[in-house]
Amino acid sequence: MQAPLSNSAAWKSLITFTILFLAWVSGFSSRLFAVIRFESIIHEFDPWFNYRATAYMVEHGFYNFLNWFDERAWYPLGRIVGGTVYPGLMITSGSIHYILHSLNIPIHIRDICVFLAPIFSGLTAISTYLLTKELWSAGAGLFACCFIAIVPGYISRSVAGSYDNEGIAIFALQFTYYLWVKSVKLGSVYWAALTALSYFYMVSAWGGYVFITNLIPLHVFFLLVMGRYSNRLLVSYSVFYILGLIFSMQIPFVGFQPIRTSEHMAALGVFVLLMAVAGLKYFQSVLSKSEFKYFFIASSLIAAGTVFLSVVVLTYAGFIAPWSGRFYSLWDTTYAKIHIPIIASVSEHQPTTWFSFFFDLHILITTFPVGLWYCIKKINDERVFVILYALTAVYFAGVMVRLMLTLTPVVCMLSGIAFSRIFELYLRDEEVPSNNKNESNAHLYDKAGKLRKMKHEQEKESDEIGTNVRGIVVIVTLILLMMFAMHCTWVTSNAYSSPSIVLASYSSDGSRLILDDFREAYHWLSQNTANDARIMSWWDYGYQIAGMANRTTLVDNNTWNNSHIALVGKAMSSTEIEAYKVMLSLDVDYVLVIFGGVIGYSGDDINKFLWMVRIAEGEHPKEIKESDYFTDRGEFRVDEEGSPVLLNCLMYKLSYYRFGELKLDYRSPAGYDRTRNVVIGNKNFDLTYLDEAYTTEHWLVRIYRVKKPSDFNRPRLPLSNRKIRTKSYITKKTSRRKKGSIPGKPPVIKGKKPVRT
Amino acid sequence: MKTPYAHTPTIRQQIDPTCTNFRVFLLKTPLFPSNHSILRVNWEFSAMLIYTLIYSLLVFSNTYALDVLNSDVVVKNVGRSIDITSQLVKVVYQFTFENKGKNSEKYVLFAVEPQFKDKVAFVGSQIKDFKLKAVETKIQNHEDKSFWRIDLKSPLLPDKTVSFDVELIAVKALVPYPAEITQREKQLVKFSGNAFVYSPYKVLSQTTTIATGTKNIESFSKLQPSKQVDKGVSYGPYENTEPFSEAGITVHYENNSPFLIITRLERTLEISHWGNIAVEEDIDVYHHGAQLKGPFSRYEYQREANSGVASVKSFKTVLPASAISTYYRDEIGNISTSHLRVNSDSVELELRPRFPLFGGWKTHYILGYNVPSYEYLFNSGNNYVLKMRLVDHVFDNMIVEELVTKIILPEGAHNIKFSVPYPVTRLPDSKHYTYLDTKGRPVISVKKNFVVENHIQDFELTYVFPRILMLQEPVLLVVAFYLLFLFVIIYIRLDFSISPEEPKKDRTTYTGLCQKLITHQVKRLATFNLIDKEVNSNKNQNALAAALKPINQEYKFESTIINDLLAKVKGDANEKVSKLAEAQKLDKVLKEHYTQNIERYISGSMGKSQLLEELNSKKKTELVEKINSLLS
Repeated sequence: MQAPLSNSAAWKSLITFTILFLAWVSGFSSRLFAVIRFESIIHEFDPWFNYRATAYMVEHGFYNFLNWFDERAWYPLGRIVGGTVYPGLMITSGSIHYILHSLNIPIHIRDICVFLAPIFSGLTAISTYLLTKELWSAGAGLFACCFIAIVPGYISRSVAGSYDNEGIAIFALQFTYYLWVKSVKLGSVYWAALTALSYFYMVSAWGGYVFITNLIPLHVFFLLVMGRYSNRLLVSYSVFYILGLIFSMQIPFVGFQPIRTSEHMAALGVFVLLMAVAGLKYFQSVLSKSEFKYFFIASSLIAAGTVFLSVVVLTYAGFIAPWSGRFYSLWDTTYAKIHIPIIASVSEHQPTTWFSFFFDLHILITTFPVGLWYCIKKINDERVFVILYALTAVYFAGVMVRLMLTLTPVVCMLSGIAFSRIFELYLRDEEVPSNNKNESNAHLYDKAGKLRKMKHEQEKESDEIGTNVRGIVVIVTLILLMMFAMHCTWVTSNAYSSPSIVLASYSSDGSRLILDDFREAYHWLSQNTANDARIMSWWDYGYQIAGMANRTTLVDNNTWNNSHIALVGKAMSSTEIEAYKVMLSLDVDYVLVIFGGVIGYSGDDINKFLWMVRIAEGEHPKEIKESDYFTDRGEFRVDEEGSPVLLNCLMYKLSYYRFGELKLDYRSPAGYDRTRNVVIGNKNFDLTYLDEAYTTEHWLVRIYRVKKPSDFNRPRLPLSNRKIRTKSYITKKTSRRKKGSIPGKPPVIKGKKPVRT
Repeated sequence: MKTPYAHTPTIRQQIDPTCTNFRVFLLKTPLFPSNHSILRVNWEFSAMLIYTLIYSLLVFSNTYALDVLNSDVVVKNVGRSIDITSQLVKVVYQFTFENKGKNSEKYVLFAVEPQFKDKVAFVGSQIKDFKLKAVETKIQNHEDKSFWRIDLKSPLLPDKTVSFDVELIAVKALVPYPAEITQREKQLVKFSGNAFVYSPYKVLSQTTTIATGTKNIESFSKLQPSKQVDKGVSYGPYENTEPFSEAGITVHYENNSPFLIITRLERTLEISHWGNIAVEEDIDVYHHGAQLKGPFSRYEYQREANSGVASVKSFKTVLPASAISTYYRDEIGNISTSHLRVNSDSVELELRPRFPLFGGWKTHYILGYNVPSYEYLFNSGNNYVLKMRLVDHVFDNMIVEELVTKIILPEGAHNIKFSVPYPVTRLPDSKHYTYLDTKGRPVISVKKNFVVENHIQDFELTYVFPRILMLQEPVLLVVAFYLLFLFVIIYIRLDFSISPEEPKKDRTTYTGLCQKLITHQVKRLATFNLIDKEVNSNKNQNALAAALKPINQEYKFESTIINDLLAKVKGDANEKVSKLAEAQKLDKVLKEHYTQNIERYISGSMGKSQLLEELNSKKKTELVEKINSLLS
């Protein structure tokens, strides 16, 4: 022990390395519940699109991916995928795939996608360690690293299979912040440029980069206000802003937004302000005091006026876009509900409840204010940053459940600081000999020890904490930490590890039943419908249909075109005849609905139906009225008392077609809906314009074929039997001449000289 | 490239006496089940070897010559039973041939109607347990028909008879009629065939029975004498029919057996010399019975017993007994509906596709498993022989429209020789790259159309693999890690900075500076103690002022040093530095406090006691404490 112990730096780095490594491993393995319980599969909705896009990129190459026009989405509009995605995720997994395959390691791209988020969670843990180390100490960093490795608030978005932007974006976020703090500390161009590069990666990965572009300027602004201006700040911010701006504009989806939208204007404003301050500082050294005072007032007034006016004029003239709807909903929580139902209809855009704060962060939610208090008490440049980070993140997390994700890292960091302080205070040995050493050192140059004695008195005060109290505090804290770890594992295993496309239920004897209806239906679609068949479903299932069934969808989770979604909503909420008109106009071949009444699955289309009505009403207020779907007493019910409009709309009919005959068990009557616990109101009806094409084993997914007009009322006549012949233009070009050829043109073969034939 | 691989490779092995693999065969033959040319080597070992060679040569030359139809041979009697209970048409002929000519015959011919030609998947022949060789051939003046030459066990002498069985399997010969049915309807199919045995020879007597497996026969062609028997129809006996005589008959009956066809089966065998063979089958299944007309109703399918009788819910696949870690999946993940039963001689896998297969529906899946290599791979030194099935069981009465079998050998295998029990098309060899491969693994691929269960037979693949190559992969790993560590070791010793490093400011000098700063600050703090002393001792105001002068000078001196040092360390934003700077600020405040009060005292606006009070005030002690704590 003696020899290696003597090199304390080596020991320190070994321990640090071991803890970081273990945090990575435990973070990785606690994210594997879904893989072990089910299989290596992509989860939920958005990941399916990301996976599909990645697979496309791997197959066709990067440039074809950037130019990809996806004609299988948003029929008949299509979607320019390359320009409407953040490609960072696809590029990351695509390049991992490329490297592995060039080393002859034949890992399927799906497995890379599935395990990408758990691997990146390790990187997040390490960058959190680095950031906390910069802010406080290495010990706090290690705590924060361990916290973020297993905290449910972050795991919820990064379990194996949840292949989404957030999985890598949190790493990019933390790493950018680390580099920023580092560059503010050192004032070096090198670190600032690295910050900009990391910011570039973040921009390519997630729309949440706006958080960085606003938080860093906010930090700079507060430093200026607090009179903490320094050349370090000037160097790092100006380098970061200029480089970051140029980099961010390289992403096709972002394009010119950084100079044209209001979300990005704060960064520009702070940049101008910083330049002005720097200029003033310079003039201060040149001018005399009175001159400077005059100069200061005049120039600041002019500058403020010009900036304000130019922003207003540019916004008015349309050069700067006003705030986007999602952004408004951050300030006014009721905004989305009134103006954009499609944003409000997503469950993760709802305000956060207290319960979910505790559920996702457990003990950390109580300890993080302690860390915040320490930071405020011992303030310096970088701690201003973490304070701002904490305050803004807390606010945003309160507005949207989804933004819990940005709160989690800062909570981990600050709790790390808090725990590190607690253990520093209570776990320190009573180092009597070392105190003596201090004293003897002090004697060397301080004969009059009177003043220094005060220090000892103070130390003795802190030493007055008895051994027992120390022991109790340490044990209680350790128990808290253990409970935290257990809670994290429990939450991960129970709440966040379901792939949601495979459902599992447990029978009374404990054996597990897998309900694989979604994949059953999607595979049926992929195998037994025409390759170009168009499938109408609610937008939630668009990505899954495209990803698993590889069929054309009308609307999907991209939700960029509200009126198109409203049209589908209208079809679903009108009667069969009306819906048929819409479906014909949209060339729909199949309609897919999710119906949970047989197994009691609550996330089905009937439960989402009111949103469809609302969205349809927003665009077609004359045809669809939300109030029609409620009973007189304002209830939404599907039993006999339900409103007749509801009982005859397409969604109802498609969900309950022939369900009225089905008796689920001996006790319940026929047509008993287990999700809503009622007997359905409209039982015996037939479909005129649609045919049941497929229903899965547990009735979870029902697919209907839309009859062509020729199928029922006007049989299709073959061309030869038609009396009235439609004029058809026949081209005189033969297949050989179709291109428009030059007679006698020699055939050109690559790499060979053309020979005249 | 279409090479009939029926005999040539084995023959070549036998002809080529230098072939090293021969030794392997001789050493290992007891382990091999049967391939008749090898068996022959086994039986007749050395003495009969030469005979075998000559015999094989004859066969070899005969394969490509046109065979002759000898009209002296007649079929004395033939009983034909046609089994159409499944989707296959299985015909068994029990022939008795008689040679009425003068010369002995080495072979007889077996013919199939021209319209039936494309549907024949398999023709085999045997006398009791001995398999006769049946080879497709051509006959002059009869190019439109297809013939099989059946080599007899021993030549048929004049006026002698010989009896043997011929088995024929035809695929896609049953046509669903009507072609479209609804979910509730039963599937009816039509079989069209010939009432007579289509023979190139004159047939003296023949009977035909058709087994339908059901009493529900809608109709059948009446050709006297014919009658409906229990679960079938029988025709004949007919006497003295001429060669190639035909009389079309149809049988229209109910057949609800699974009409599943494997449109494509890609079987990959990956051989590892570490003891494992990985088998993966990529299968496209299509229900080619009567198409489903109208809607599919899940309600009826679940509640009514006769709903969807013609659909296929599940089927059984039989795997080798040693198969382990089986997986059943498709492109979107595991198919969770399957059951595995391990029997003593096989592993039975009940596969349920994701959805029931109705007429016209198709599905696709991948089935994979591992088997230990000792059961299939044998070696003698560096020579290896692999004996495995070219195609394996997928379901009973299966039809494989297109079979592609790929065999991936370990990296470095060469001298590859491949022999198969029936003709297949060999596709060009390719390379396969997987973990830690450098040159790539050789891949042998073959293709065959229309494969049925009778084709489940072993192929033989011999190759040479130097054992030392087993070490290649571990060595590769070791070298890679070695290089990585070496690189790191070198890298951390290199300096890539473009400016000369500041002389260790960060560690030693820097801490030295800080230490110095602390020392000086402590010294400066001590001047306050001196002032206190002076104030306590000197009563005279002027004397005090004089006494304080050197002390203040000392203070100033220390201050300049501190300022210099602070300016030096200030470049680095560090906690320690900020603490020191803070201490500097507090010190200034303290000094101001002192000078103010002493000035007041000296000017006389303050009494002595008041001064002492001020100098020991709470403010002062707090400041001193703070500075001390900052400096510690």
